[in-house]
Amino acid sequence: MSTAKLISEGRLGDRLWFYTNYHCNLRCSYCLTESAPGVPRRELDAERIRTMAAEGAELGFQSFGITGGEPFLRDDLVAIVAELAALRPTLILSNATIFNTRRLRELQALEGLPVSVQISLDRPDPDKNDQMRGPGNFRKVVEAIPRLIERGIGVRVATTLDDPDVADPQEMERLCELHRSLGVPDCDHVVRPVIRRGRAIGNEIGRDVVFEDFEPELTITADGAFATPFGPTIVGGRLDTDLLVTRTTSPLDVPASALMRAAGAASDGQDARIGIR
Amino acid sequence: MTIAPVPAEQAPLLARPYYAGESPSPIAATLAHVPELLDVAMPFIGAALGESSVPARLKEIAILRASVLLECHYCVQTHTVVALDEGLSDSEVRALREDGPSEDAFDKERERALVAWVDALARGRGAIEDALQARMASCFSEAEIVELTVVTTATMMLNRYCTALGLPVNPATITRLRAEGLA
Repeated sequence: MSTAKLISEGRLGDRLWFYTNYHCNLRCSYCLTESAPGVPRRELDAERIRTMAAEGAELGFQSFGITGGEPFLRDDLVAIVAELAALRPTLILSNATIFNTRRLRELQALEGLPVSVQISLDRPDPDKNDQMRGPGNFRKVVEAIPRLIERGIGVRVATTLDDPDVADPQEMERLCELHRSLGVPDCDHVVRPVIRRGRAIGNEIGRDVVFEDFEPELTITADGAFATPFGPTIVGGRLDTDLLVTRTTSPLDVPASALMRAAGAASDGQDARIGIR
Repeated sequence: MTIAPVPAEQAPLLARPYYAGESPSPIAATLAHVPELLDVAMPFIGAALGESSVPARLKEIAILRASVLLECHYCVQTHTVVALDEGLSDSEVRALREDGPSEDAFDKERERALVAWVDALARGRGAIEDALQARMASCFSEAEIVELTVVTTATMMLNRYCTALGLPVNPATITRLRAEGLA
């Protein structure tokens, strides 16, 4: 069965993900990839990203996702995004703490393109938010969101909680009031649990998950193709391979078809997805 | 250098079937580093070396002999046990391992021809002599020659793979070989 048909039937996620890099200016307590300043960058070559994006569009993927690490630490990120967004709508996951004057000016190159940035904002109070994400994070995010929206960049807010099921409703309401006040509507706010992978393991937080909990979403990294963007995690400096699909990433139909075989084998009698996005 | 086998908790998606039940062989557990290779290599290895229309005894003669000539410690140890289990005698195994008399170790001409064929494949370079080709043709069908040649050459690939990557021999195999006086 073709990749396009699998996507159209909802059996394979329609977004093709790229891990552009693993380094980050922050060191969040629940980071899947143990990202921080100075970690191995594991950068995905820009030319490979362009090639695979073109292959992905050809195969039927409807959108692209970029994550890391902090993608905007790459000097060539905006140029890469401009090329990807010319093919398909592109979502970038960012901590939004490094949008200084220069980077905001660079974003003008994305004007008119279907580009969105998903920004992490976990709590409505600076002190609690910054416990998880580092000093000054709250202020920088709250400053960055309106600036991005002013420049025509779509903004989504992602809230990651140790256990969303027991979140304080009043606190959540204040968080929603905050993102609305910043110009982000409810439909662009996602709440998700901490996944017990990466740094969350050592900190003993988050939810244990298995492959069947995820919607299969092909995810390309410098180390190979994975079954979900929650897959290529790092623990103690070592890459997890339990959600590795193939080391081959191009031609893209190699990991795409392998992922569908793996998902088919795993999904017999299974319907345990918890809708982690 | 040795390549660490992929542990069960890190088994990639395509490798998981090989970790169900018993522990995977060191070959499978190292190929799991590249799951798309494991995914095609293991079925091929199984088809080439496993049960088929060619008797297992003949296959083990080819496998053990090639492994001896390519000096693959892992494969020699492992397939000495398999060969014994397939009914090869102690003297036949020792002949193939070159630690016993080789003359007249095998009664049947087709088995002697097979050993010569494996020797030519594993030791030689270039074309195989016409006389040996004719000898094989007089003992085996074309399909059997193809299969035994695949068995031998696939073994040679695995010999180099296992040796280069330093794959460890299963402790149970070593225990058995000691008991047989073949360690």
